[in-house]
Amino acid sequence: MAEPQRLTDMELERALRELGPRYPYPPTPNLALAVRRRLVARPVAPVRRLMLWRDPRRLVLAAAVVLVLAGAAALINPTSRDAIAHFFHVPGVIVSRVSPLPSLSPVTPLNLGRRTTLADAQSAASFTIAVPADLGAPDAVYVESGVPGGEVALAYTPRPGIPLVKQTGLGVLITEFRGDLLPGFLTKEVGPSTTLQETSVNGDPGWWVAGEPHIVFVQVSGTDYQVQLRMAANTLIWEHGGVTYRIESSLSRADAFRIAAGLP
Amino acid sequence: MEGRPLDDLALVERARTGDVNAYEALVQQYQQLAYRVAYQVTGDAADAEDAAQEAFVNAYYALGRFRPGAPFKPWLCRIVANEARNRRMSAHRRTALAERAHWAQASGEAAPSPEAAAEAGEFRATLVDTLARLRDDDRLILSYRLFFDFSEADMAEALKVPKGTVKSRLSRALTRLRAALPADFQLASGGQVDG
Repeated sequence: MAEPQRLTDMELERALRELGPRYPYPPTPNLALAVRRRLVARPVAPVRRLMLWRDPRRLVLAAAVVLVLAGAAALINPTSRDAIAHFFHVPGVIVSRVSPLPSLSPVTPLNLGRRTTLADAQSAASFTIAVPADLGAPDAVYVESGVPGGEVALAYTPRPGIPLVKQTGLGVLITEFRGDLLPGFLTKEVGPSTTLQETSVNGDPGWWVAGEPHIVFVQVSGTDYQVQLRMAANTLIWEHGGVTYRIESSLSRADAFRIAAGLP
Repeated sequence: MEGRPLDDLALVERARTGDVNAYEALVQQYQQLAYRVAYQVTGDAADAEDAAQEAFVNAYYALGRFRPGAPFKPWLCRIVANEARNRRMSAHRRTALAERAHWAQASGEAAPSPEAAAEAGEFRATLVDTLARLRDDDRLILSYRLFFDFSEADMAEALKVPKGTVKSRLSRALTRLRAALPADFQLASGGQVDG
Protein backbone atom coordinates (compact mmCIF):
# COMPACT_ATOMS: atom_id res chain seq x y z
CA MET A 1 0.00 0.00 0.00
CA ALA A 2 1.40 3.44 -0.99
CA GLU A 3 2.37 5.99 1.65
CA PRO A 4 -0.27 8.74 2.00
CA GLN A 5 0.69 11.99 0.30
CA ARG A 6 1.07 15.03 2.53
CA LEU A 7 -1.15 17.99 1.65
CA THR A 8 0.39 20.87 -0.24
CA ASP A 9 0.06 24.44 1.04
CA MET A 10 -2.63 25.12 -1.52
CA GLU A 11 -4.60 22.04 -0.53
CA LEU A 12 -4.30 22.90 3.11
CA GLU A 13 -5.41 26.50 2.48
CA ARG A 14 -8.38 25.25 0.50
CA ALA A 15 -9.29 22.82 3.24
CA LEU A 16 -9.20 25.62 5.80
CA ARG A 17 -11.22 28.00 3.63
CA GLU A 18 -13.85 25.34 3.28
CA LEU A 19 -13.77 24.61 6.98
CA GLY A 20 -14.26 28.30 7.87
CA PRO A 21 -18.03 28.52 7.37
CA ARG A 22 -18.48 25.20 9.18
CA TYR A 23 -16.16 25.90 12.07
CA PRO A 24 -18.00 24.87 15.23
CA TYR A 25 -18.29 28.21 16.97
CA PRO A 26 -20.81 28.56 19.75
CA PRO A 27 -23.60 31.06 18.93
CA THR A 28 -22.44 34.66 19.19
CA PRO A 29 -23.89 36.31 22.31
CA ASN A 30 -25.44 39.77 22.17
CA LEU A 31 -22.40 41.76 23.16
CA ALA A 32 -23.78 45.10 21.99
CA LEU A 33 -26.34 45.24 24.77
CA ALA A 34 -23.86 44.32 27.49
CA VAL A 35 -21.27 46.76 26.20
CA ARG A 36 -23.79 49.56 25.99
CA ARG A 37 -24.88 48.98 29.56
CA ARG A 38 -21.32 49.22 30.75
CA LEU A 39 -20.59 52.37 28.77
CA VAL A 40 -23.74 54.09 29.92
CA ALA A 41 -22.90 53.16 33.48
CA ARG A 42 -19.57 54.86 32.99
CA PRO A 43 -20.36 57.61 30.51
CA VAL A 44 -16.94 58.87 29.74
CA ALA A 45 -15.70 59.63 26.29
CA PRO A 46 -12.34 58.39 25.05
CA VAL A 47 -9.37 60.31 26.37
CA ARG A 48 -7.21 61.77 23.63
CA ARG A 49 -4.21 62.51 25.75
CA LEU A 50 -1.44 60.53 24.16
CA MET A 51 -1.81 61.66 20.59
CA LEU A 52 -2.56 65.21 21.52
CA TRP A 53 0.69 65.67 23.30
CA ARG A 54 2.43 65.02 20.01
CA ASP A 55 0.24 67.42 18.07
CA PRO A 56 1.00 71.08 18.79
CA ARG A 57 -2.16 72.18 17.03
CA ARG A 58 -4.20 70.40 19.61
CA LEU A 59 -2.05 71.19 22.56
CA VAL A 60 -4.73 73.39 23.97
CA LEU A 61 -7.12 70.51 24.15
CA ALA A 62 -4.45 68.28 25.59
CA ALA A 63 -3.72 70.89 28.17
CA ALA A 64 -7.33 71.05 29.10
CA VAL A 65 -7.52 67.32 29.46
CA VAL A 66 -4.44 67.20 31.62
CA LEU A 67 -5.78 70.03 33.63
CA VAL A 68 -8.75 67.93 34.45
CA LEU A 69 -6.70 64.83 35.07
CA ALA A 70 -4.47 66.66 37.43
CA GLY A 71 -6.81 68.80 39.26
CA ALA A 72 -10.47 68.62 39.01
CA ALA A 73 -12.78 66.73 41.25
CA ALA A 74 -13.82 63.68 39.40
CA LEU A 75 -16.92 61.92 39.39
CA ILE A 76 -19.20 59.59 37.75
CA ASN A 77 -22.76 59.68 36.69
CA PRO A 78 -24.11 56.54 35.18
CA THR A 79 -27.35 57.80 34.01
CA SER A 80 -28.95 60.13 31.58
CA ARG A 81 -27.64 63.61 31.25
CA ASP A 82 -31.05 64.71 30.07
CA ALA A 83 -32.14 65.49 33.55
CA ILE A 84 -30.12 68.66 33.92
CA ALA A 85 -32.17 70.61 36.35
CA HIS A 86 -29.96 73.62 36.74
CA PHE A 87 -26.76 75.11 35.54
CA PHE A 88 -24.86 78.25 35.92
CA HIS A 89 -21.87 79.60 34.13
CA VAL A 90 -18.81 81.40 35.41
CA PRO A 91 -15.68 82.23 33.42
CA GLY A 92 -14.00 79.03 32.29
CA VAL A 93 -16.25 76.71 34.23
CA ILE A 94 -19.77 75.38 33.84
CA VAL A 95 -21.40 73.53 36.66
CA SER A 96 -24.52 71.51 35.93
CA ARG A 97 -26.90 69.94 38.36
CA VAL A 98 -28.02 66.50 37.22
CA SER A 99 -30.31 63.85 38.54
CA PRO A 100 -30.47 61.08 39.54
CA LEU A 101 -27.60 60.64 41.88
CA PRO A 102 -24.33 59.55 40.27
CA SER A 103 -22.82 56.18 41.03
CA LEU A 104 -19.13 55.82 41.59
CA SER A 105 -16.40 54.15 39.64
CA PRO A 106 -13.36 52.52 41.16
CA VAL A 107 -10.52 54.70 42.27
CA THR A 108 -8.20 55.63 39.42
CA PRO A 109 -4.68 57.03 39.39
CA LEU A 110 -4.23 60.70 40.11
CA ASN A 111 -2.02 61.43 37.10
CA LEU A 112 -0.46 64.45 38.71
CA GLY A 113 2.60 64.56 36.48
CA ARG A 114 6.24 64.20 37.34
CA ARG A 115 7.28 64.17 40.98
CA THR A 116 9.89 66.75 41.64
CA THR A 117 11.04 69.44 44.02
CA LEU A 118 9.36 72.74 44.66
CA ALA A 119 12.30 74.59 43.09
CA ASP A 120 12.19 72.47 39.95
CA ALA A 121 8.44 72.86 39.70
CA GLN A 122 8.86 76.60 39.99
CA SER A 123 11.27 76.62 37.06
CA ALA A 124 8.68 74.79 34.95
CA ALA A 125 5.77 77.02 35.90
CA SER A 126 5.06 80.47 34.47
CA PHE A 127 3.48 81.65 37.69
CA THR A 128 4.68 81.88 41.25
CA ILE A 129 3.79 78.71 43.08
CA ALA A 130 1.93 79.50 46.25
CA VAL A 131 2.38 77.29 49.31
CA PRO A 132 -0.31 77.69 51.96
CA ALA A 133 1.11 79.03 55.17
CA ASP A 134 -1.30 76.97 57.18
CA LEU A 135 0.10 73.68 55.85
CA GLY A 136 3.73 74.53 55.25
CA ALA A 137 6.01 72.64 52.88
CA PRO A 138 4.24 69.88 50.95
CA ASP A 139 5.17 66.24 51.39
CA ALA A 140 5.38 65.79 47.62
CA VAL A 141 5.40 68.10 44.62
CA TYR A 142 4.35 67.18 41.10
CA VAL A 143 4.62 69.17 37.91
CA GLU A 144 3.02 68.75 34.53
CA SER A 145 5.02 70.95 32.20
CA GLY A 146 3.03 70.03 29.08
CA VAL A 147 0.19 72.25 30.17
CA PRO A 148 0.51 75.87 28.99
CA GLY A 149 2.08 77.73 31.85
CA GLY A 150 2.71 74.51 33.74
CA GLU A 151 0.58 72.82 36.31
CA VAL A 152 1.72 72.07 39.83
CA ALA A 153 0.30 69.75 42.48
CA LEU A 154 1.19 69.97 46.16
CA ALA A 155 0.42 66.82 48.13
CA TYR A 156 0.05 66.64 51.89
CA THR A 157 -0.21 63.36 53.72
CA PRO A 158 -2.84 62.84 56.42
CA ARG A 159 -1.98 64.09 59.85
CA PRO A 160 -3.81 65.02 63.03
CA GLY A 161 -6.55 67.39 61.98
CA ILE A 162 -6.21 66.44 58.32
CA PRO A 163 -8.03 63.18 57.65
CA LEU A 164 -7.22 60.73 54.91
CA VAL A 165 -9.05 61.19 51.62
CA LYS A 166 -9.62 57.62 50.57
CA GLN A 167 -9.99 58.55 46.90
CA THR A 168 -6.53 60.10 46.73
CA GLY A 169 -4.67 58.46 49.57
CA LEU A 170 -3.69 61.96 50.65
CA GLY A 171 -4.80 64.43 53.26
CA VAL A 172 -4.87 67.55 51.12
CA LEU A 173 -4.16 68.01 47.43
CA ILE A 174 -3.62 71.50 46.06
CA THR A 175 -3.33 72.14 42.33
CA GLU A 176 -2.35 75.38 40.64
CA PHE A 177 -2.38 76.19 36.94
CA ARG A 178 -2.81 79.05 34.47
CA GLY A 179 -6.53 78.92 33.98
CA ASP A 180 -6.35 82.01 31.80
CA LEU A 181 -4.32 80.14 29.19
CA LEU A 182 -6.88 77.41 28.79
CA PRO A 183 -9.60 78.53 26.45
CA GLY A 184 -11.81 75.49 26.99
CA PHE A 185 -14.48 74.92 29.51
CA LEU A 186 -13.98 72.88 32.59
CA THR A 187 -17.38 71.40 33.22
CA LYS A 188 -18.62 69.66 36.32
CA GLU A 189 -21.80 67.74 36.74
CA VAL A 190 -23.01 67.27 40.25
CA GLY A 191 -25.75 65.07 41.62
CA PRO A 192 -28.62 66.16 43.80
CA SER A 193 -26.76 65.13 46.95
CA THR A 194 -23.74 67.27 46.17
CA THR A 195 -23.42 70.59 47.86
CA LEU A 196 -22.58 73.27 45.33
CA GLN A 197 -22.04 76.80 46.47
CA GLU A 198 -20.87 79.88 44.64
CA THR A 199 -18.60 81.66 47.00
CA SER A 200 -15.84 84.21 47.32
CA VAL A 201 -12.30 83.14 48.09
CA ASN A 202 -9.96 85.92 49.14
CA GLY A 203 -12.22 88.31 47.22
CA ASP A 204 -12.29 86.26 44.02
CA PRO A 205 -15.22 84.20 42.77
CA GLY A 206 -15.03 80.53 43.50
CA TRP A 207 -16.99 77.36 44.19
CA TRP A 208 -17.30 75.02 47.06
CA VAL A 209 -18.23 71.49 45.94
CA ALA A 210 -18.85 68.92 48.65
CA GLY A 211 -20.68 65.72 49.34
CA GLU A 212 -21.42 63.28 46.56
CA PRO A 213 -18.90 63.01 43.72
CA HIS A 214 -19.49 64.69 40.41
CA ILE A 215 -18.43 64.40 36.78
CA VAL A 216 -15.83 66.65 35.25
CA PHE A 217 -15.25 67.05 31.55
CA VAL A 218 -13.78 69.55 29.18
CA GLN A 219 -15.56 71.23 26.35
CA VAL A 220 -13.37 72.60 23.61
CA SER A 221 -14.26 73.85 20.15
CA GLY A 222 -17.86 72.93 20.51
CA THR A 223 -17.20 69.28 21.15
CA ASP A 224 -17.62 67.55 24.46
CA TYR A 225 -14.65 65.63 25.74
CA GLN A 226 -16.00 63.94 28.77
CA VAL A 227 -13.12 62.59 30.74
CA GLN A 228 -13.46 60.15 33.51
CA LEU A 229 -11.08 60.91 36.26
CA ARG A 230 -11.45 59.78 39.78
CA MET A 231 -13.64 60.16 42.75
CA ALA A 232 -12.85 63.31 44.63
CA ALA A 233 -13.53 64.69 48.04
CA ASN A 234 -14.63 68.19 48.96
CA THR A 235 -13.21 70.79 46.65
CA LEU A 236 -12.69 74.53 46.83
CA ILE A 237 -11.77 76.12 43.52
CA TRP A 238 -11.14 79.74 42.54
CA GLU A 239 -9.02 81.88 40.25
CA HIS A 240 -6.81 84.82 41.04
CA GLY A 241 -4.54 86.74 38.69
CA GLY A 242 -4.92 84.18 35.90
CA VAL A 243 -4.00 81.26 38.15
CA THR A 244 -6.62 78.73 39.15
CA TYR A 245 -6.28 77.16 42.58
CA ARG A 246 -7.95 74.04 43.77
CA ILE A 247 -7.97 72.46 47.22
CA GLU A 248 -9.25 68.91 47.62
CA SER A 249 -9.62 67.34 51.03
CA SER A 250 -12.08 65.81 53.43
CA LEU A 251 -11.96 68.96 55.49
CA SER A 252 -14.93 71.12 56.28
CA ARG A 253 -15.69 74.25 54.33
CA ALA A 254 -14.31 76.38 57.14
CA ASP A 255 -11.05 74.43 57.23
CA ALA A 256 -10.71 74.58 53.44
CA PHE A 257 -11.15 78.35 53.58
CA ARG A 258 -8.54 78.52 56.31
CA ILE A 259 -6.04 76.89 53.96
CA ALA A 260 -7.15 79.10 51.07
CA ALA A 261 -6.49 82.17 53.20
CA GLY A 262 -2.79 81.35 52.90
CA LEU A 263 -2.97 81.37 49.13
CA PRO A 264 -3.53 84.29 46.70
CA MET B 1 -34.61 58.10 0.18
CA GLU B 2 -33.07 55.45 2.36
CA GLY B 3 -30.27 56.46 4.62
CA ARG B 4 -26.93 54.87 3.95
CA PRO B 5 -25.40 53.14 6.96
CA LEU B 6 -22.56 55.08 8.41
CA ASP B 7 -19.22 53.51 7.65
CA ASP B 8 -16.64 52.62 10.22
CA LEU B 9 -14.76 55.88 9.96
CA ALA B 10 -17.81 57.98 10.64
CA LEU B 11 -18.91 55.75 13.49
CA VAL B 12 -15.45 55.78 15.04
CA GLU B 13 -15.25 59.55 14.80
CA ARG B 14 -18.60 59.89 16.51
CA ALA B 15 -17.67 57.36 19.15
CA ARG B 16 -14.48 59.27 19.86
CA THR B 17 -16.57 62.20 21.00
CA GLY B 18 -18.54 60.04 23.39
CA ASP B 19 -21.43 58.97 21.15
CA VAL B 20 -22.38 55.64 22.69
CA ASN B 21 -24.99 54.97 20.01
CA ALA B 22 -22.35 55.16 17.31
CA TYR B 23 -20.14 52.81 19.25
CA GLU B 24 -23.00 50.39 19.77
CA ALA B 25 -23.42 50.25 16.00
CA LEU B 26 -19.76 49.30 15.71
CA VAL B 27 -20.19 46.60 18.34
CA GLN B 28 -23.14 45.14 16.49
CA GLN B 29 -21.19 45.14 13.28
CA TYR B 30 -18.14 43.40 14.73
CA GLN B 31 -19.42 41.36 17.63
CA GLN B 32 -19.49 38.08 15.73
CA LEU B 33 -15.97 38.55 14.44
CA ALA B 34 -14.71 39.64 17.86
CA TYR B 35 -16.36 36.71 19.58
CA ARG B 36 -14.94 34.24 17.09
CA VAL B 37 -11.46 35.69 17.31
CA ALA B 38 -11.68 35.41 21.09
CA TYR B 39 -12.95 31.85 20.79
CA GLN B 40 -10.03 30.92 18.56
CA VAL B 41 -7.74 31.96 21.40
CA THR B 42 -9.65 30.73 24.44
CA GLY B 43 -11.40 27.67 23.08
CA ASP B 44 -14.10 28.33 25.65
CA ALA B 45 -17.44 30.03 25.06
CA ALA B 46 -17.68 31.84 28.39
CA ASP B 47 -14.09 33.05 28.28
CA ALA B 48 -14.57 34.21 24.70
CA GLU B 49 -17.67 36.17 25.63
CA ASP B 50 -15.93 37.81 28.58
CA ALA B 51 -12.89 38.64 26.49
CA ALA B 52 -14.87 40.09 23.60
CA GLN B 53 -17.05 42.18 25.87
CA GLU B 54 -14.07 43.48 27.81
CA ALA B 55 -12.24 44.21 24.57
CA PHE B 56 -15.12 46.31 23.26
CA VAL B 57 -15.27 48.30 26.47
CA ASN B 58 -11.52 48.79 26.58
CA ALA B 59 -11.42 49.71 22.91
CA TYR B 60 -13.99 52.42 23.55
CA TYR B 61 -11.86 54.01 26.21
CA ALA B 62 -8.78 53.60 24.02
CA LEU B 63 -10.31 55.36 21.03
CA GLY B 64 -8.31 58.43 21.96
CA ARG B 65 -5.19 56.51 20.95
CA PHE B 66 -6.74 55.18 17.77
CA ARG B 67 -5.13 56.70 14.68
CA PRO B 68 -7.79 58.67 12.79
CA GLY B 69 -8.54 57.07 9.44
CA ALA B 70 -6.99 53.73 10.35
CA PRO B 71 -9.06 50.57 9.88
CA PHE B 72 -11.05 49.75 12.98
CA LYS B 73 -11.40 45.99 12.44
CA PRO B 74 -7.77 44.85 12.86
CA TRP B 75 -7.20 47.31 15.70
CA LEU B 76 -10.19 45.87 17.51
CA CYS B 77 -9.09 42.31 16.83
CA ARG B 78 -5.71 42.99 18.38
CA ILE B 79 -7.41 44.15 21.57
CA VAL B 80 -9.74 41.16 21.49
CA ALA B 81 -6.89 38.69 21.06
CA ASN B 82 -4.97 40.25 23.94
CA GLU B 83 -7.99 40.09 26.20
CA ALA B 84 -8.60 36.49 25.17
CA ARG B 85 -5.03 35.48 25.96
CA ASN B 86 -5.51 36.90 29.42
CA ARG B 87 -8.49 34.67 29.98
CA ARG B 88 -7.33 31.47 28.46
CA MET B 89 -7.56 28.66 30.93
CA SER B 90 -5.88 25.45 30.12
CA ALA B 91 -8.48 23.30 31.82
CA HIS B 92 -11.31 24.92 29.90
CA ARG B 93 -9.31 24.68 26.79
CA ARG B 94 -8.73 20.96 27.02
CA THR B 95 -12.44 20.36 27.55
CA ALA B 96 -13.25 22.65 24.69
CA LEU B 97 -10.94 20.82 22.34
CA ALA B 98 -12.89 17.64 22.72
CA GLU B 99 -16.16 19.53 22.35
CA ARG B 100 -15.01 21.25 19.22
CA ALA B 101 -13.89 18.07 17.59
CA HIS B 102 -17.25 16.53 18.44
CA TRP B 103 -19.20 19.48 17.01
CA ALA B 104 -17.09 19.51 13.90
CA GLN B 105 -17.78 15.86 13.32
CA ALA B 106 -21.49 16.36 13.89
CA SER B 107 -21.86 19.46 11.74
CA GLY B 108 -21.86 17.79 8.34
CA GLU B 109 -24.49 18.83 5.87
CA ALA B 110 -26.42 16.71 3.38
CA ALA B 111 -23.89 14.33 1.89
CA PRO B 112 -23.84 12.08 -1.13
CA SER B 113 -23.60 9.04 1.06
CA PRO B 114 -23.38 8.12 4.73
CA GLU B 115 -19.78 7.05 4.18
CA ALA B 116 -18.84 10.39 2.59
CA ALA B 117 -20.56 12.33 5.35
CA ALA B 118 -18.74 10.38 8.00
CA GLU B 119 -15.46 10.86 6.21
CA ALA B 120 -15.98 14.61 5.82
CA GLY B 121 -17.01 14.94 9.45
CA GLU B 122 -13.96 13.08 10.60
CA PHE B 123 -11.81 15.25 8.38
CA ARG B 124 -13.21 18.45 9.87
CA ALA B 125 -12.89 17.14 13.39
CA THR B 126 -9.26 16.28 12.83
CA LEU B 127 -8.54 19.68 11.30
CA VAL B 128 -10.31 21.56 14.09
CA ASP B 129 -8.58 19.53 16.75
CA THR B 130 -5.18 20.03 15.19
CA LEU B 131 -5.73 23.76 14.75
CA ALA B 132 -6.67 24.04 18.40
CA ARG B 133 -3.34 22.54 19.40
CA LEU B 134 -1.33 25.08 17.44
CA ARG B 135 0.17 28.07 19.17
CA ASP B 136 -2.03 31.17 19.30
CA ASP B 137 -0.15 33.20 16.73
CA ASP B 138 -0.35 30.42 14.16
CA ARG B 139 -4.02 29.79 14.75
CA LEU B 140 -4.79 33.49 14.66
CA ILE B 141 -2.99 34.19 11.42
CA LEU B 142 -4.59 31.17 9.77
CA SER B 143 -7.99 32.25 11.06
CA TYR B 144 -7.58 35.86 10.00
CA ARG B 145 -6.58 34.86 6.49
CA LEU B 146 -8.55 31.73 5.75
CA PHE B 147 -11.59 31.99 8.01
CA PHE B 148 -12.14 35.76 8.19
CA ASP B 149 -10.58 36.76 4.86
CA PHE B 150 -8.38 39.56 6.22
CA SER B 151 -6.08 41.41 3.85
CA GLU B 152 -2.36 41.21 4.50
CA ALA B 153 -2.43 44.77 5.80
CA ASP B 154 -5.20 43.93 8.24
CA MET B 155 -3.37 40.81 9.39
CA ALA B 156 -0.24 42.83 10.00
CA GLU B 157 -2.19 45.34 12.07
CA ALA B 158 -4.14 42.72 13.97
CA LEU B 159 -1.01 40.75 14.81
CA LYS B 160 1.16 43.83 15.26
CA VAL B 161 3.82 42.52 12.91
CA PRO B 162 5.50 44.18 9.91
CA LYS B 163 3.45 43.82 6.75
CA GLY B 164 6.40 42.25 4.96
CA THR B 165 6.49 39.32 7.35
CA VAL B 166 2.84 38.31 7.09
CA LYS B 167 3.32 35.95 4.15
CA SER B 168 6.23 34.13 5.71
CA ARG B 169 4.41 33.82 9.02
CA LEU B 170 1.39 32.44 7.25
CA SER B 171 3.55 29.94 5.42
CA ARG B 172 5.23 28.83 8.64
CA ALA B 173 1.84 28.44 10.31
CA LEU B 174 0.69 26.19 7.47
CA THR B 175 3.87 24.17 7.77
CA ARG B 176 3.35 23.68 11.48
CA LEU B 177 -0.29 22.77 10.94
CA ARG B 178 0.69 20.16 8.40
CA ALA B 179 3.31 18.75 10.71
CA ALA B 180 0.76 18.52 13.51
CA LEU B 181 -1.79 16.65 11.43
CA PRO B 182 -1.86 12.86 11.61
CA ALA B 183 0.51 11.24 9.13
CA ASP B 184 -2.35 9.60 7.28
CA PHE B 185 -4.43 12.76 7.09
CA GLN B 186 -5.78 13.27 3.57
CA LEU B 187 -8.48 15.25 1.87
CA ALA B 188 -11.92 13.75 2.06
CA SER B 189 -13.30 11.73 -0.84
CA GLY B 190 -12.89 13.36 -4.21
CA GLY B 191 -10.59 15.96 -2.69
CA GLN B 192 -13.53 17.75 -1.06
CA VAL B 193 -13.52 18.84 2.53
CA ASP B 194 -17.24 19.21 2.86
CA GLY B 195 -19.55 16.30 2.67
